[in-house]
Amino acid sequence: MLAGIQQIDEVEWEVPVGYVPGMRVPGRFFLSDDLAETLEPDAVHQLANVACLPGIERYSLAMPDIHSGYGFPIGGVAAFDAESGVISPGGVGYDINCGVRLIATPLRADDITQPRALIEELFRTVPTGVGAESSLRLSHHDLAAMMTEGVRWAVEAGYGVENDISHCEESGRLDAADTAPVSKKAFQRGMPQAGTLGSGNHFLEIQEVDAVFDPETAEAFGLSPGQICFMVHCGSRGLGHQVCTDHLRVLESAHKRYGISIPDRQLACAPLSSPEGEAYFGAMAAAANYAWVNRQVITHQVRQVLQRMFGIAYEEMPLVYDVAHNVAKMEEHSSERGRRRFCVHRKGATRAFGPGLPEVPAAYRSVGQPVIIPGSMGSHSYVLHGTATAMERTFGSTCHGAGRVMSRTKAKKATPGSEVRKHLLEQGIVVRATSDAAIAEEAPEAYKESDKVVDVVRRAGLSLPVVRLRPLGVIKG
Amino acid sequence: MPFFEVPHQADVKVHVEADTCGHLFSETARAMFCLMYCRCEEGGVERRVSVTSTDRHSLMIDFLSELLFIAEVERLVFSSFDVTVTDTALEAVARGERFDPAKHRGGMEIKGVSYSGLRIFRDGNLFCCEILFDV
Repeated sequence: MLAGIQQIDEVEWEVPVGYVPGMRVPGRFFLSDDLAETLEPDAVHQLANVACLPGIERYSLAMPDIHSGYGFPIGGVAAFDAESGVISPGGVGYDINCGVRLIATPLRADDITQPRALIEELFRTVPTGVGAESSLRLSHHDLAAMMTEGVRWAVEAGYGVENDISHCEESGRLDAADTAPVSKKAFQRGMPQAGTLGSGNHFLEIQEVDAVFDPETAEAFGLSPGQICFMVHCGSRGLGHQVCTDHLRVLESAHKRYGISIPDRQLACAPLSSPEGEAYFGAMAAAANYAWVNRQVITHQVRQVLQRMFGIAYEEMPLVYDVAHNVAKMEEHSSERGRRRFCVHRKGATRAFGPGLPEVPAAYRSVGQPVIIPGSMGSHSYVLHGTATAMERTFGSTCHGAGRVMSRTKAKKATPGSEVRKHLLEQGIVVRATSDAAIAEEAPEAYKESDKVVDVVRRAGLSLPVVRLRPLGVIKG
Repeated sequence: MPFFEVPHQADVKVHVEADTCGHLFSETARAMFCLMYCRCEEGGVERRVSVTSTDRHSLMIDFLSELLFIAEVERLVFSSFDVTVTDTALEAVARGERFDPAKHRGGMEIKGVSYSGLRIFRDGNLFCCEILFDV
């Protein structure tokens, strides 16, 4: 482990105040001994930098998928007091509400007799990769409504069913959304991209439930052994990127005006109560709503393909849940000063609310919020459930994925995409992408083992495994 | 003039060198488009870009962000840039071609240009830049 870091228990570590100048609270991260070698000094430095921001509560946190990003580390979580705290685009990222959702089906693995044909049909239907354009023809008014109403807009436009709404985090809509501070440029970028997958680590995956750890909760989530599910990972596309770019520029000058000292320019921020902070929060929420619609439209496209190819009724493909990875939200949490409102930033982290909370859909309230942790192309994904422990230790947060351990450049040099594809096919996994380079960059070896990352959050009690999912086919952007 | 990737686990960081400050801006833009579209060639397309910012670092971020916006919205791929730059203002002519899915689709989308670790500095006679792209 890096010098200066103290072990709290078997999977929790503390970065003490003073690790970098100006820290207001300690940093805390979760990692097992066997993942310790994956820890980058830069990521710990970023975790400590976040602890310097005004109004931060208790700890600057990072989950076991921690790795270096920009501003916040990936896997970073920080709660800022609603009255004295700040909001920072660096704690959300360029891809606002990048997130993941899981769609259940009545299909079993034996039903997928022609996986390649299914993957090709999905690839033709879901616009994928750099430069892909939406099949939707949207007006300015449509886009504004989409950003204001979130998933409800999509359902009312015919891209889903009523149950989809309640099975999204925040019911697929942040009510703070305000389109006024969303620039004309962001509108222009958002118009042709609604319902497109994007590229990089975004994907659409066919998966089989291959292990059930908690049958009772699995039943509550509508999941059973051998069941075929579809996982969608994507975000707010160019619209969200532009919102981040635009408001970073504004907050760059704002933080100086409010006398806030920051250790990294990418941590530009403003008080939550300031006009600049409120404008970013409103625009960020609007972009988050767009991202939920984006995943909803892709869900609709997937369901249409399955209807055509397997004759399944639309209603037989329920949305299990949809979680956000890159978002800042107002939430109430316990603190030494009692229950208070905080702006919780999760950058490459997942909300993991425990049982009994009103934010958890009624159908899942007795067991806790579903947590969806994607693996990489060749490794397992998991569904877990949130816990009371997460509410106490991490503001109801857990990890978001496996986390990279190898740069894209190194991954491309290590194994050609064609070989990665062949190797995956030997394991029964069909991969389709816009290029072999995209496959090479996302090779399973470029990521931590999802099994090990999930094991850390299980041991820490931040979320508990319900089912494991094995990939059968992957579309990479 | 050369540019090369600096190891970074999650995103893409590049180091760019040039003989003048203007070339540094144009080469950094060229690096960004090479990452995004792999093959970038001149095809009769030309756009003028004007940017003003508070300092040279912000100028670089704003210049590249503006190019990202134009490329995405107008579906263009740029390959060369003539840049005139002061500490707080930049004028550029970007040349390139129309986006062609068959040629350009296999690239890597850049979501944003980060301030984190951004360095613009002199190394002897060379002007250098290290910059991180969120991909």
